[in-house]
Amino acid sequence: MIQRLLITSSKWSKKGMLNDIESIKNLARDEISNARCLQDIYDLKVKYLGKKGLLTGKLKSLGSIPREERPAFGRILNESKNFIESLLRKQEDIFKSSELDKSLRTEQIDVTVPGCFIPTGHLHPITQVLDEISGIFISLGFTVEEGPEVELDYYNFEALNFPKDHPARDMQDTFFISDDVVLRTHTSSVQVRVMEKSSPPLRVIAPGKVYRCDADVSHIPMFHQLEGFMVDRHIHFSDLKGVLELFIHRVFGRDTSLRFRPSFFPFTEPSAEIDISCVICNGSGCNVCGGTGWIEILGAGMINPRVYEKAGYDPELYTGFAFGLGIERVAMLKYGIDDIRLFPENDKRFLEQF
Amino acid sequence: MKASYIWLKEFVDFNLLPEELSHTLTMAGLEVEAIEEVEEDTIFDIGITPNRPDCLSIRGIAREISAVLEIPSKDISAGVEKEEGEGPVVEIENSGLCPRYSSRIITGVKSGPSPEWLSKRLESCGIRATSNIVDITNYVLLELGQPMHAFDLDKLSGKKIVVRQAGAVNKFRTLDDEERDLSKETLLIWDAEKPVAIAGVMGGRNTEVSESTLNILLESAYFNPSSVRRTSRSLNLSTESSYRFERGVDIEAVTLALDRAAQMIAEIAGGRVTKITDKYPGPFEPKKISVSFKKICSVIGVDISESFVEKRLRNLGFRVEREGEGIVAIPPAYRNDVERDVDIIEEVARLYGYDNIPSTMPFMQMSSPPEHKRQELVKILKNSMTKSGFSEVINFSFLNPDALEKLNLPSEDRRRNLVYIKNPLRKEESAMRTTLIPSLLNNVSMNLKRGEKMLRFFEVSRVFLSSGQKLPDEITQLAAIYHKDMSVSIWQDKHDGFYNLKGALENLFMELKIKEYSFERDTSSVEPYLHPGKSCSITINSQKAGSLGTLHPGVADAFDIKGNVILLEIHDIEKIQMALPGKTTYVSLPMYPYVERDIAIIVSKDITVEQAKKIIQGIDSDIIESITLFDIYTGKPIPDDKKSLAFSIRYRSAEKTLTDSEVDAVHSRILKRLEAQLKAELRS
Ligand SMILES: [Zn+2]
Repeated sequence: MIQRLLITSSKWSKKGMLNDIESIKNLARDEISNARCLQDIYDLKVKYLGKKGLLTGKLKSLGSIPREERPAFGRILNESKNFIESLLRKQEDIFKSSELDKSLRTEQIDVTVPGCFIPTGHLHPITQVLDEISGIFISLGFTVEEGPEVELDYYNFEALNFPKDHPARDMQDTFFISDDVVLRTHTSSVQVRVMEKSSPPLRVIAPGKVYRCDADVSHIPMFHQLEGFMVDRHIHFSDLKGVLELFIHRVFGRDTSLRFRPSFFPFTEPSAEIDISCVICNGSGCNVCGGTGWIEILGAGMINPRVYEKAGYDPELYTGFAFGLGIERVAMLKYGIDDIRLFPENDKRFLEQF
Repeated sequence: MKASYIWLKEFVDFNLLPEELSHTLTMAGLEVEAIEEVEEDTIFDIGITPNRPDCLSIRGIAREISAVLEIPSKDISAGVEKEEGEGPVVEIENSGLCPRYSSRIITGVKSGPSPEWLSKRLESCGIRATSNIVDITNYVLLELGQPMHAFDLDKLSGKKIVVRQAGAVNKFRTLDDEERDLSKETLLIWDAEKPVAIAGVMGGRNTEVSESTLNILLESAYFNPSSVRRTSRSLNLSTESSYRFERGVDIEAVTLALDRAAQMIAEIAGGRVTKITDKYPGPFEPKKISVSFKKICSVIGVDISESFVEKRLRNLGFRVEREGEGIVAIPPAYRNDVERDVDIIEEVARLYGYDNIPSTMPFMQMSSPPEHKRQELVKILKNSMTKSGFSEVINFSFLNPDALEKLNLPSEDRRRNLVYIKNPLRKEESAMRTTLIPSLLNNVSMNLKRGEKMLRFFEVSRVFLSSGQKLPDEITQLAAIYHKDMSVSIWQDKHDGFYNLKGALENLFMELKIKEYSFERDTSSVEPYLHPGKSCSITINSQKAGSLGTLHPGVADAFDIKGNVILLEIHDIEKIQMALPGKTTYVSLPMYPYVERDIAIIVSKDITVEQAKKIIQGIDSDIIESITLFDIYTGKPIPDDKKSLAFSIRYRSAEKTLTDSEVDAVHSRILKRLEAQLKAELRS
């Protein structure tokens, strides 16, 4: 076949030339489609388009064509060259990608080897719960205030209507630094400090550490509280209920019921203790709630006018509420922790669960 | 306070099962903490808040049930059936401390065990039965809330009673056979010559009623609550009596109780009762409290009818009169907790039922949003440390003073100046922390004992430093600990931990965009608990702000820690706060490409990376953009006392594309300077 082509090309004729080109094209198409591998393609490239290639030969023979025919043949030859080139390229791409596929398939890694990173640390569950609760109140426009943990008896007791020699002081086992300095027994100590430096309206939360001289299976001598209070001209007990309900629903879910019971705190009047329906048994009774279906979670009330008097507010003008809650208690209910002593223990296996 | 279901029912005829009664009491503010079935009876353990001493008796709780359920209560009609002879002589020296003292003598009693019903009732309420006379005084205490005391009359010198402070007498032996130390102010009961009881707290051994007692003197009194409390506290002795007196008993019911007890003794132990002596120098003055209906409704937040207010207050034993747009309420003597209008409002709210009050949201003016810079910073510190792999611990603020010894802190160190707790639970918790380090070391030691590895902890908490003022300085610190045992897992770093902790801090600074910080080897100020060669101080804005280093091996031993421990401390997070940049300003991106050249030099081992870097930075050229350390090498073929440092230096001009020759010129100046100043050799 090649022999024949070479022979016909030795003697120029227009028709012969066109036939030759067409034959080369057809031959190239057949051979390219029969190629088996990348090397075949490279060989065919040389055969047709190389220096001594078949089509190159035709191009070289342009000189022997009559002058007036040259442009037309030139164009035909170029188109043929492009045609073969594009076939070659297409086939080359196919072989290349399949060969890459083949070689990639041999380069395997073990994807089950652990990833490489600095294992993240964990925030203490108390911090997480405090942040969540603070966030709820901050979103309601409350300001965060802090007070000293080593506190004057005055702010911790006296100003909150716990007179000296009054049995109400027995409600809180107190660590003493001196006769008139204590470790604050509650974050309520922040109330009068804030009232002394700012005037109503007030919306304040005071989170922090508090101390009680008490240690057994259900008590630790240092724990966390969050005090909240709000003072303005027309704040009602019903507002206290509304705000605490909103808060409890955000932390424990909308299905949680609340129960307000009368109670006593020297710095609030009326005072209340707030129970929530047991989050462990949903109110049917279990160990955590002592079978009652209710869990005490908050102490609250309307701020006692005696506190306003200490702070220099007019008790006839202002009303307000205050509430306090134990963070450890919330965390225990939220995460199902059954021993309060785990919090200060800081066992790595405990911390890493949160 | 333990209360019997059957006993309560004798006072008020409620139609409730024990569980229902328990709920009613709890929702009225008398929280039932436990319920116990005893034979046919049910015993409620009720938490009585300190403001309600009137409920420290069966009669008081019954009164409350009656008011809540709006059913009448029966009162006891105590009276002595037959009186013979005059009552005892009683003198009160200070009526402020003892506004009322009543007494009767009972002669010819027969001491012995109590009848079964009486001892059973006492024991079900948590009081041990002994003998009839004492049991009856206890019975009346439970029933009416009035503490009583019986003296053996024949041991009372002069058969008289004087109420007077201790004065010069400073010792007294009480019923429980303890010798008590008295202060001058302690209020005592005397006979004609000697003290015979500590008023309101406990009787004396010297006049105790015994099996052979024939004649008794019975006391029913009201003692000043604060005085009893001070005495009880200073003696560290709390009794059923002192518990009630310090909260305030019903001064108007003192003689009722006396009569009740006298009559019961006459019935049970026999004997003849004298007339009463009732000294009452400080009579009860009823309080008149005005409150408007408007205020009641406004404080509670719901409309409550005027008739409801009047009716329910009367149920509670208040006298109520209309006054303008409100009422004047006069609380009974036993409600000494009700003093002003809000107390009346609480009573109304309580009987209205807290659960019946609606939930509303307060109206409040908008105000400028609060700034919480410090809290935000603490949050960033904590989050940044967790990102670097450290878990947060929260330790007690207490310190074992011995720990400072273990840390080798010299006696003049400020942290040795401790704030002590007067009444600690344990010696190990007897002072407030002046440093967070011992807590973190204990955390590591404890976790190691439990077999945990890879311990990385941090804490952000306050320390308490004596200030010379009443209150100590409370300073928030950041401290972190890195423990590395010798085993290495696949992805673990090759470092000993120092650079991990340093990196955590540098990462924090990067997060906060703080650039003015440095780590300085400064042997003079190194912490005594750190390895002197592997520690440094941390400087922020040229101020010392903390320290970083390997734990001193001796201290590690003292805390029982094996392995490598690195500690980081920022002594006051305020220093970080102050270094925070005000705002971020954009710098235009460079227009021209950079050229990077490496330089590796061999220097003496004691030359620091920082020294070399400073020299390069000191070259007078504005095309050095950055200097990055990429290798430190020791070992062959470098001589033993030398090391190789390799830096990559990036050159860039703000004005044009740099040519090779421009870069070469600066690069060779750098090498020359390093050779000259550090005796460095180029590593080929
Ligand atoms: Zn439950």
